[in-house]
Formats: sequence, structure tokens, C-alpha cells
Amino acid sequence: MSLRGLVKHFDTKLAVSGVSLDVPAGSFYGLLGPNGAGKTTTLSMAVGLLRPDAGQAFLLGYDVWADPVAAKARLGVLPDGVRLFDRLTGAELLAYHGLLRGMDAATVDQRARELLDVLELGTTNKTMVVDYSAGMRKKIGLACALLHAPRLLVLDEPFEAVDPVSAARIRDILQRYVAGGGTVIFSSHVMEVVERLCSHVAILSDGVLRMHGTLDAVRGDRSLEEVFVQVVGARVGTGSELAWL
Amino acid sequence: MALTSASPARVPGGSPMPFVRLKLRLIANGLRGRPGRVALFVSGVLLSGIFAVAGYAIFAVPGVLGDEQAAATLLPLGGSALVLGWVVLPLVFFGVDESLDPARFALFPLRRRTLITGLFVAALVGLPAVATLVATAGTVNTAGQLGGAAAALAQVAGIVAGLLLCVAVSRAVTSAFATGLRSRRSRDLAVILLAVTAALLGPLQLAVLAGLERADWAAFGTVADIAGWTPLGAPWTVGLDVAAGRPWAVPLKLLIVIAAIAGLLWWWGATLEKAMLGTAGSGRGGAATDTRSPVGRLLFGRLPATRFGALVGREVRYWLRETRRRASLITFTVVGLFLPVSISMSGGSPGPMTLFVGALAAIALANQFGYEGSAYAANMTAGVPGRTEIHSRAAAHALFTVPLLVVVAVVVALVGGRPESIAAQFGGLVAAYGVGLGVVLPISVLAAYSLPETTSPFAVSSGGGVAKGLLTLGAMAGTVVVSAPLLVVGFFLGDVWLWIGLPAGVAYGCAAYLIGSGLAGDTLDRRMPEVLAAVTAGR
Repeated sequence: MSLRGLVKHFDTKLAVSGVSLDVPAGSFYGLLGPNGAGKTTTLSMAVGLLRPDAGQAFLLGYDVWADPVAAKARLGVLPDGVRLFDRLTGAELLAYHGLLRGMDAATVDQRARELLDVLELGTTNKTMVVDYSAGMRKKIGLACALLHAPRLLVLDEPFEAVDPVSAARIRDILQRYVAGGGTVIFSSHVMEVVERLCSHVAILSDGVLRMHGTLDAVRGDRSLEEVFVQVVGARVGTGSELAWL
Repeated sequence: MALTSASPARVPGGSPMPFVRLKLRLIANGLRGRPGRVALFVSGVLLSGIFAVAGYAIFAVPGVLGDEQAAATLLPLGGSALVLGWVVLPLVFFGVDESLDPARFALFPLRRRTLITGLFVAALVGLPAVATLVATAGTVNTAGQLGGAAAALAQVAGIVAGLLLCVAVSRAVTSAFATGLRSRRSRDLAVILLAVTAALLGPLQLAVLAGLERADWAAFGTVADIAGWTPLGAPWTVGLDVAAGRPWAVPLKLLIVIAAIAGLLWWWGATLEKAMLGTAGSGRGGAATDTRSPVGRLLFGRLPATRFGALVGREVRYWLRETRRRASLITFTVVGLFLPVSISMSGGSPGPMTLFVGALAAIALANQFGYEGSAYAANMTAGVPGRTEIHSRAAAHALFTVPLLVVVAVVVALVGGRPESIAAQFGGLVAAYGVGLGVVLPISVLAAYSLPETTSPFAVSSGGGVAKGLLTLGAMAGTVVVSAPLLVVGFFLGDVWLWIGLPAGVAYGCAAYLIGSGLAGDTLDRRMPEVLAAVTAGR
């Protein structure tokens, strides 16, 4: 995936100003940033959900906005803050995604059952996704993104609200996926996860890309958290505020 | 947390003003920096203004003419129709501005009385209420002309009470309706009964009026007199009572209205409480299992295992499972059946009504992308072409609608005593439905808007609700105009129409559908991100 000078305004606010980023094939890329940094906006523009005011996005060599069909066919997305078709049950939702991607029914059935089983969502469960907990929704969303075995996975906050056991399982799945030649880019603000998984890291704040490169190059001999706090320029607590608490 | 330093929570002393300010703030924020919404809002203001002025003129005419008998007929009947409009229109077209969603106040330390008063007063702040007040002010003019200042003064009290009644009845009925529809499956029968009762009020009124048109003037006046003593007509006639030398009737009638308002508010409060509790624990147990294959479950084992089949399967599920869509199907069924029937029974011609019913069927798709909101992103990332998307949605809707249209055609033909016209009736319905889809589908792409994520099927976002409802009405008017030629041709052809009505109607409807859906699909291909942004809540 490569992004070239992506810009997006909301009303008068500049949400993303000129982000250019190259995600090498086969990398495990972590996109870090504080709340409101523009992570979701950037990823939405990269996968063709949000039209950028300027700039280009290429997925596996295809221009997302010029040749959307070719670009999207090899892409799996887990958007954040976007609803699922939540009046379907988990199994129905997976079948829906599989058929939308033009897969044949037998493959869809087999993979859907396997995914539901591995992610512990229950293969015969009749609960609608709307009644799922937040963590279960993340998992079913991830399953939908994985179903058609894409070459590139774009995941927005995949570990948010997921319990530790499931998170470990998702990490395991993603690591095997990258080892098998896939590419993952995901956003997060959990340093430990990024530090443990990623080969490459980019830090975004206020819509600007502050640092990017391989994990070792970005953190040097410090911890990723130190680098992150320094780059983002967080306030240091003095202990005097919120004294009434 | 140090409890000692926490100042005791100030329980608001029952003033509704915070609610009003909150509502005004929500409207203002909804408009800020969004030229499209401002335009919708302004057109809503203009149209409300037109309605208000026209209503004022109509109600003022008897006074200007000095015709007491006309006044005694027009005011109670026109006023009653207005009240019934407040009941029926939100259910069928406009929705309720639930920007102040009661469930959001569940955690605040508010007494029920405070909450109800606040929500009620906030509901008074809005274009429909202002327009109604201005329109009914025409009755003050009439009362003043006929009975002087005292009558005018009584009538002012009357219209204020009348406005309160309109708002109270509309809130109470939609809330009761919503509470019923919120349950997933168990209480569907009760819901349908409620729907029938509520939606019947309008057609019944039409039937009564149509019947009266043939009756003599005196009988008409009697009905008006009776209506004047029901809560529906009472608020609009107090001024006339003063003018006619019956001042003792004024407190009685006002008492009737106030009692009705109090009762309605109590009913509203009861359903609201249920709604506020209901949001927390509505999840069903996960005990139920289904061992069919995932694909088989999605497609009911019947639809083709293709992209189109998946889209249709999902849409069908949504019409069955989502409260907003279920509500629109139920409302359409009830109105679609009873409107033509009541017209036929009262001796009118159901012909034009078939146009209306066909168009009404298509209206459910006017904001089809708004129903599931940002979930549409999944179809975008899967790269579903615009035309496939549009065709699949229309096909799923037709699966529900076409059988209903058959039923409507059969019932209308039988009630009208002309069983030979079933096929032609059905042809007319299909033509109107096809034209309706042709008009509505491009609108659904170009003018998609987000719906709030509440469980109330009648909720619309704050601001511009009137304009959006009127956009829908405009689409219906367009449909009726485009499909009217067919009706005219049918009228002139007479009996020949009984034979060619079905093929001609189906052909006309299909042609209109193909043009509209093609246009909508191509537009969608170009505007996917814009549609997604438009239906994403909070954007």
C-alpha cells in the first residue's frame, strides 16, 4: 500500500494534511497516534471509503480511486466506528461477505465455520450481531475481513475491547498471515501490542506523519512509548490539576 | 472519589426550559456548516409558512363572510382533521423529531413529571407546531368577526389548548406504536392490531367525509356539532359558542380538552418509561441454535448463491428484522388496504387511489441507505456495482410489496363490485409502484440522510424533518403525475382496459423502473463515498 499526499478537511478543520506512506509488501505495519490524530480518516481514504480532498492511494499497485474494483478485490478491511449489517447473525454475515466477494458457496461455508470456531463465536449461534458485545463485534468484523484471504489487511483498532484471550488468538492469526506473505497495516494506541507485533511503525498526530520506518529505526534504544510521548508532545502532569478528585 | 467535597447534585426544579434550550442547540448545531441541511431547513420553513398562511385563510373565510353556519361546520371538522393529521402523518410520512431521545435521559436524576413536561414543551418547539398555531389563528379571526372581542379571547384559549392536544396526541400515539414495534417477535400481533387501529383513523375520517358529501347539509351540521363536543373538535369551537350566546360551553369544552391532554400525557409517560427500561435488557438468550450451513441460512436455501442473491437475502432479513423497515411495511399494508376500501365503500372511485397506494409502496425506499447507516461501507469495500446494489434492494422490497399489491387489487375490485377488473387494477398498481421506484431510487442516492440509531422506528434527526417529509411527499406527487396518463388512457378505453390494463401497466411500470434504477445505479457508482458520508450518523 502506498499513500501519496492525502489531505482531508472536515468543514474548516484539517483532519489529515498531506500524509505519504509506503507499506512494503509482507510487512506488519503499526499506525500509532493519539485520539483524533487522523488514523481512521487516513485509513478510510486509503481503502476507498472516504474521498480525499487531494492525494492518491495505491493498493497493491492499483489506484483506489481510479480503479476501485481491482484494488478492493485483494483487500480486507476492518473499519472502526462503522456499523456492521448487525441484523444478521454471525454466520449469515460471513456468508453475505463471502458471496459479495464472489466466492463459491462451498468455500464460504467451510471458511465461515472455521473462522467462527477459531474466534469462538459459535458456529450454530442464532444471536444477531446487534446483540453481540463490543469485543465479539470486533471479532466478527475481523472474520469478515479475513474470509476471502486478501493479500492486504487494513485493520482499524483491531484489539480495542477484545479480551486478552481473544487478542492473543488474533495476534497469532495475524502473525501467521504475515509469515505466509500477507501484509497488515493496523492502527492502535496500545504500545505493547505494536512493539510485540510490528516490523514497521508510523506515528501520526494532528493529521501529520511525525515518524515512520522499521520498528528498530523508530525507537532506537528507547522504548516505543517514550518515543511516542516525545514525538506527540504530550503534557506532563504537574499533580496540581484535578486536585478535587 | 472524595465524597465530602462533591457538591450535592442539583435536581432541576421541574423547569422545561433546559429541554427547550437543548433542542434549539441541537437544531442549530445540526445546521452549522452544512449548506445542504440549511437549504432543507429553509425550504421546510417556507413550506410550513405556506401551510400556515393557507390554513389561516381557510379558517378565517367564514368569519370574513359572516356565515355562522359555515363557521359552525368548518371549524370543528377542519380542526378535527388537523388533530387526526397530527396522529397519522408522523406515522406514515414525517417521523417524529426524537433528537431528545428519552432513553438518553435515563441516567439523569429526573422525575417522570419533569421529564414529560420537558419533552412535551420541547416538542412544541418546531416548525409543525408553529405552523399549526398560525393556521388555527384563523379561527380566532372568525370568532372575532362573529362574536367580538370576548369570542376572540375564548378562541385564543381554544387554539392554545388545541395545539397542546395535537402535540400530545401525536407523541403519545407514536410512542405507544414504537414501544410495541420494539419487541422482536413475540408481540407482533398486538403491534399489527395497534397499527390497524391507528392507521384506520385517517381512512375512517375520509370515509365519513365522503359519506357526508352525499348527505344533506343538516346532517353535516349535526356531525359537526357532535365533533365540537369531542376532544378533537372542542378546542376550535369555543369562540363560536361565545358568539352564539353559549358562554357556559367554554369552560366545559376546555375541560374536555385538558382532560384529554392529561390522559394522553399520562399514556405517553407510561410508554416512555417502558421504552427507557427496554433499551437496557432487550438481548435474547443465545440458547437458540441453527445447524444449517452459513450460506444456506443467509439465502433461505432458495436464492442463488451469487452476489445478487446475498444482497437480496440480506435485504429480506432487514425488512423482517429492523424495526424501522417493519414499521414501514406494516403501515403500508394497513394504509394500502384500508384507504381504497374505505373509498370504495363510501361510493367513491378507487381509481386514483391505486396510484397513491402504488406510490406509497415505493416511498419506503426513499431513504433506503439511511436504514443501516454506515454498514453500507461493507458493500463498498466489496466493490458492489451501483446497479447491482439498486436492483437487489428493489427486488427484495418487491418480494414483500408485489403480493400485497395483488391483495389490494383483489380487495378493491371485490369491494367495488367489479371482480372483472382485478387484472386491470393490479396493472395500475404495478405501474404506479414501478414509476414510484423510478422516482424514488435516484432520490435515495442523491438525498440520502442519516437516521438516529435509536430503536424507535419513527425517529428522524433534528432539523429539516419537515423538509425531508415534504421531499417524500414531492416524490409521491411526482409519481402520481408520471403515472396519471395511464389512468387517463384506462378511463377513456373503458372495457378494453380490462384486457390490456395488466400488460400495459406492467410494461409502463417496468420501463419507469429501468430508467430510474439505471440512473440511480450510475449515480451511485460515482457517489459511493458521499452516500456513505451522508448516512453515517453524526456527520
